[in-house]
Amino acid sequence: MLRPEINELLTQTGPKTPMGELFRQYWMPACLAEELPEDGCPPIRLKLLSERLVAFRDSYGNYGLIDEFCAHRGVSLWFGRNEEGGLRCPYHGWKYDTTGQCLDVPSEADNSSFAENVKLTSYPLVKIGDLLWTYMGDPATQPPLPEWEFALVPPEQTYTSKRWQQSNWLQAFEGGIDSSHVTFLHSGGLKTDPLFKGAKGNEYNLNDTKPFFEVADSEGGLFVGARRNAEDGKYYWRITPWVMPNFTMVPPRGDHPIHGHFWVPIDDENCWTYSFDYHPVRPLSAVERQAMIDGHGVHSENIPGTYRPVANMDNDYLMDREAQKSGAYYSGIKGIAIQDSSLQESMGPIVDRTKERLVPADSGIIKARQKLRKAALALRDQGITPPGVDPAHHHVRSAAVVLPQAEAFLDAARDDVRVKPGMPVASV
Amino acid sequence: MTADTSLSSCARAATAAEARFRIDAPVESRNARVVALDEPAAEVLRSVAAHEWAGARFFVCEPGPAGAGAGGEFLLRSIDGTPAVLSSELDGAHVVVMVATQDSGAGCAYAIGKACWERAVMTAGLVLGDGSQTAAVAALRPHARVLLPTADESDLLELLTALRV
Ligand code: FES
Ligand SMILES: [Fe+2]
Repeated sequence: MLRPEINELLTQTGPKTPMGELFRQYWMPACLAEELPEDGCPPIRLKLLSERLVAFRDSYGNYGLIDEFCAHRGVSLWFGRNEEGGLRCPYHGWKYDTTGQCLDVPSEADNSSFAENVKLTSYPLVKIGDLLWTYMGDPATQPPLPEWEFALVPPEQTYTSKRWQQSNWLQAFEGGIDSSHVTFLHSGGLKTDPLFKGAKGNEYNLNDTKPFFEVADSEGGLFVGARRNAEDGKYYWRITPWVMPNFTMVPPRGDHPIHGHFWVPIDDENCWTYSFDYHPVRPLSAVERQAMIDGHGVHSENIPGTYRPVANMDNDYLMDREAQKSGAYYSGIKGIAIQDSSLQESMGPIVDRTKERLVPADSGIIKARQKLRKAALALRDQGITPPGVDPAHHHVRSAAVVLPQAEAFLDAARDDVRVKPGMPVASV
Repeated sequence: MTADTSLSSCARAATAAEARFRIDAPVESRNARVVALDEPAAEVLRSVAAHEWAGARFFVCEPGPAGAGAGGEFLLRSIDGTPAVLSSELDGAHVVVMVATQDSGAGCAYAIGKACWERAVMTAGLVLGDGSQTAAVAALRPHARVLLPTADESDLLELLTALRV
């Protein structure tokens, strides 16, 4: 349960809101690199943290993320012509470079300095891995570039997709640290999904539906451990890292690629779910990559040319009551990603958290909300840089391990939840 | 992909404002028993107990064999010092939250955990400290369905508030 004002605090990420300011401390995924595939390609509209922006790649290959609207009379620069070294508004021809600097105002005299004094809001846009990243905060406190393992491994070892989710970012993110839903909602997928099936750990998952939980602080956020019984009196631990504010990873299964998410607010009622899959040691196989492209695992099948899932709110997510009855899909919805989005969107654009009835198994969510609230207020009131900004906090992995009962999961697995470049993940 | 889109019309009419009309059944508070397993934990409980709670009662578990009273009853002490019997306190309890700062409460955790198990009462454990309390964590682990090792004393307040006790 949250008081109404705390629910508002955590769900509002527009400019000048405490949570919006918190998000503006971090490098965030702005879009997939594939959305700006070549120099001089068409610009794209991006709404991030409730700000409407346009991203483009100029004729020299520079990336830019600038205010969507022309400083002259407010036309959307999405209609812009991507010309030599800048984006030109098609209405009266004002032209802007990737920093938002106006280069040309054709109606002015040839040697006029008028354009020099026109500059649109702009944010850096940097390609790391399959993503273009932006930092929307004060340039004076811009942190070093992000160091997430999935973005740093060679391209053949990683794959990232994204999908539009019609809900506030927080309820989408909360699914990412909510280990207790996996045994129910995703049970069908553990047996059949090409990117999950066959792992020894799946048996532990399916045989023990009442896991114990342990929620421990980490430098950047939390580790949520879910513990189930394994053989010989040992415990099977699934460890989910959360790095503030919106990065989560799913514990691995066997030698399958390891995956996770970024939950990025578009505005207060929509978010981008970025889903990545990578293998720290080997290239993804052609079969694995194709399965990801086809929307298996944590990925979604999107309407071609868009990032909207084929199964969405408008078609009841292609609900299949037969599959629900047979248990092939526990909820009747196909695919992990849409199983999550369908239920999270059904909660409404912004769920009213004053009405929920949390149970102890929701402790990860309780603790994460508390950390977000405290970090947002500490930033607002004392200017304290929140956890997760320091790239050292990015060096985490999820893990799935079998441990003797007496061992604390974080002590025994401390090494397993740290990135060791070129070394395999700890997984059963 | 053919699906009858008319079916989803009502679902699509969701707005954030409409959420106010959802789940309007009254929410009853739950009964929690919060037990400190050692003296520093009891200190934390005293300050948390001073808040207003609808369904939470606060206790200290006496360390050592003193926990066992006459007739095999396991005894607790209420935060104001009055004695209490564990088994009767568990009647009607929905959740028991054990709070420890050291491993001296292992015996108490065992007794409470066992009694909760027998009565199907949910258990949670909070281990307060700087992270070096691994023995306390290990002692609580088998008996708490949910375990939170934490440096932040306000976690207890937050947890109880979130659980509506
Ligand atoms: S509105 Fe863009 S040039 Fe006039
Ligand atoms: Fe899920």
